[in-house]
Order: sequence, then structure tokens, then C-alpha cells
Amino acid sequence: MIKARNVSLVYRDGTVALQNINLNLHQGGLFYVIGPSGSGKTSLMKLLMGMEFPATGFLEVMGQPIHKRETAKIRKLRRDIGPVFQEFKLILGRTAIENVIMGMRFLDIPLQKARESAKNALVRVGLEHKAFTLVDKLSYGEAQRVAIARAVARKPALILADEPTGNLDHDNAVKILKLLESFKDKSTTVMITTHATHLIDECRSATLIHVKKGEISIERGGEQI
Amino acid sequence: MKNIGYFLREAGKIIRYNHVSNIFSLLGTGLILFLLGLVVALWGVSSQLVGMLQQEAEISAYFSSQLEDPQDIINNIQLIDGVWNVRYVGAEEARARMENILGDESYVLDLFEKNPFEPYLEIRIHLDQIDSVLQTIKNLKGIDYVRDNREVLEQIKGVARALEILGYLVIAAVSITTLVIISHMIRQGIFHNRDQIKTLRLLGAPDSFIGFPFVLVGFLLTFGGGLLAAVLITILINRGYGQLGGTLPFIPLPSRDRLLLGLITLLLSGSAALGILGSLFGLSSINKENHG
Repeated sequence: MIKARNVSLVYRDGTVALQNINLNLHQGGLFYVIGPSGSGKTSLMKLLMGMEFPATGFLEVMGQPIHKRETAKIRKLRRDIGPVFQEFKLILGRTAIENVIMGMRFLDIPLQKARESAKNALVRVGLEHKAFTLVDKLSYGEAQRVAIARAVARKPALILADEPTGNLDHDNAVKILKLLESFKDKSTTVMITTHATHLIDECRSATLIHVKKGEISIERGGEQI
Repeated sequence: MKNIGYFLREAGKIIRYNHVSNIFSLLGTGLILFLLGLVVALWGVSSQLVGMLQQEAEISAYFSSQLEDPQDIINNIQLIDGVWNVRYVGAEEARARMENILGDESYVLDLFEKNPFEPYLEIRIHLDQIDSVLQTIKNLKGIDYVRDNREVLEQIKGVARALEILGYLVIAAVSITTLVIISHMIRQGIFHNRDQIKTLRLLGAPDSFIGFPFVLVGFLLTFGGGLLAAVLITILINRGYGQLGGTLPFIPLPSRDRLLLGLITLLLSGSAALGILGSLFGLSSINKENHG
């Protein structure tokens, strides 16, 4: 699913965000990318989304190398990814269901089926009653759930959620994490970044990817790998 | 096809977002295209005029009054390469023709005691061979004087050529201006929708999906301008034909329906093509930004 060999990410201003990352993650897992703010969690997500490119090393997501020369193929790769952005990136002036359908319009899915999937996804995140409400009028938590519905409605192979617990209180943050975890199955990998490690203490089935000062270590079931 | 409704709605939203500028660009494009239609119409009329005059190019040969039977000369002239018809015009016919031309003023001919006109030969020729034909006829025995209308023809051809050049210049100016207007409007639309475009890219939408509503906007704006120009040119040509037909009936105008059909086809297809092209130019600015 995700293979990284000695991957480094250096921003244009010279900041080294990640260095010598090595990963070999299989399909169908639940991964938490954890670490303090500014440690490189979002940078890792950006690399996996093809929003940034490795300065050194080799990175492959679902068989697709992440490289500057592969932008067209990376665009195709993104159709198999369900992203939940930190700032949601919902399209304002549209309803919740329109936003969810938007993620499927350009896929090879008939419109009727896309509508059904969108409705089901909104039911799953508990927002069916807000399906026809403009996203501009939704609360922070509701907007986040629309973003999750958009990510999962198209049944992606990889769900990438960047700091989904950001500004939520403890109870709502746990609910969101549980919701995201529920989408993990044999064919769907879920990767969540968070700095709130206390929220995931109970989740022993997850693989934890610790990011600290641009370097990573992996822990599963309480053991370092 | 499943997204056609979505594309139309998106195009409508883009137009409404900046509706004042879009209305002005539609009007501006319409007026520019109207100018194009006008020049092309004049070009068409002048080409028709030159074509007809060229087809009817004729010279008049006057022969000696002592010559009793001009048939020999007629036979000789008919053998000249470049001559396709020779006709004898008697003095009475020449007078009748002038009466016809003068109309109400023809009474001046009654002031002459005798018919002032002489018989002559009306010779239809191929215009491109006028020099050699003239030279040969002038050298024929019995020919006194040859009159040609080459100067008039050359002047009309000059005007037609100038209109043709002006036409090309106007086509270039209209194309460039329309492309600049539309690509600018599209860039504005892209700027206003930059967040949505970025999100769609992150979701994996292809450029064709993102760009199609903008192409539709460019098409609708210029096609609207083309329709406006077509309406204006139709009104102008209908009125122009009414006026010219009454006051200058001798000008050989092309068929009004054919001219209008040609102009409307040109304006609509040209505006549609320019709109799509202008949008594609405008859209190329998306690709200059990062591919994020």
C-alpha cells in the first residue's frame, strides 16, 4: 500500500520536514501518525497525497511512485484516496450532499449511484438531516463530518485524515476517531494524524507511527517495530 | 454527459459571480463582431461588384463613317483571342440607351437636330486579355477609335482589394480582442474559484472536468456576442438593401438572403470558436500554477 525508502522532504525555504523515512504499510490497516505540532505529520500526509514530492529517496502509494514527473498519474491516484483535510476544504455555497457528490462526479460512477452513496455516507456520519443545508451554515463539527462523508462516500482504498480532532472537545474528538476507525476494513486503509495521543490510548489494534523532528518510529501493540 | 447539468450550473454561477463585467464583455464582443460583420458585408458586396463588372467587361469600337458594311470587321474581331461576343449597336439604339439612362432628363437629346450618336461595336472581352485585345482591335483597318472602361474597373478593383485587406485586418483585430477579453474573464473566474479548483484537484478531478465550465462560460459569452452581432447586422442589411435598392438600383448587390446566411454563419461559428479558444487560453493559466 505505502512504501517509502529513505524519503526526505525539504521545503523551498530549506526547512527539512522529514528525513530518511522508511515505511512498508500493508492494505487494510489502521494507522495513527502521532507527534507534537510541527513534527512533520502533515508533511507526511502531503507526501502521500502527492501535494509535495520527496527531495530524496523513493515513495510509492498504491503502486504509484510519488514524483514530480508523475503529476497526471498522481491525480488519478487521488481518486482512490479519501482525504479529510485539517481545514476540511469544503466547497462553500453548496449543500452538504452536493459536497459529498462532488467527490464522485468525475469518477466512473452513475449519478444516481453517487447520490445514494452520498446519502448513505451522510447517514453514516449522522448528518442525514443536514444533507440539504449549505455547508457555510454548519457548525465546525458538522462540517468536519461532511468532509469525512465526502472522503468515504467514494469507497477509497486509503483514507487520510489530517488532524481530524483539531478543535473538538474530548467527547466529540473521540467520536470522530471512532467514526474514522469504523471505515477500516480488509480493502480500506485508514491513516489518521493527531497530536492528541491521549485520545488513542484505548485503540490497541492500531499501528502508531511516531513522528518527531522529521524522523519516524513505528509501534504496534505497545512494541517498537 | 452525466455532468452536463452540473457544468451548466457551474457556468451560470461563474457568470453570475461577476455579472457586470460579463455583461459588458458580452456587449463588447457583440459590437466587435458586428464591426467584423459589417466589413465582411462590404467586402462581399464589393467582390460581387467587381466580379460582375469583370464578367461584363466590354469595350466600344467606333468605325469609320465611310464604312458601309461593318460585317467584315465584326467577323475579324470575333476571331481575336479574348473576345467572346461582338454586337453591332446602331445609332438609334445608342440614342435609345442614352434616353434610358437619362430618364426624365432625356429631353436634352431633343435639342439636337440630328441623332448625335454614331453606330459602334459592343465587344465583350475577357478582362485579363484586355491589353492584347485592345491593341489588335486598334490596328484593324476601318477602326477609328476604341473606348474602354479599364480605369473604372481598376479603381473598383482597388477599392475591393483595400476592403479585402481591411477585412483581414479587422478579422485579426476582432480575433485578438475577443481572445484577450474572454481569456481575461476566464482568468478572473479561475481566480474567484481558486479554492474550489484546488479542492477538486486534491480530490483527483481531471483538468477537463475542472475546466469545462470555464470553456462553457467563454462559449456562452462570445456566442451571446455573436447572436447580438447577427441581430444587428440583419437589421442593418435589411435596411441597407431597402435604401440602396431604391436610390442606387444600378449597383449589383448580392442576394440578400445569401449574404445574410453567410454573415450569420460566420458570426455564430466564429464567435463560438473564439469563445472556446479564448477560454482555453484563459485556462492555460491554471496549469502555470502548481499542480497541487
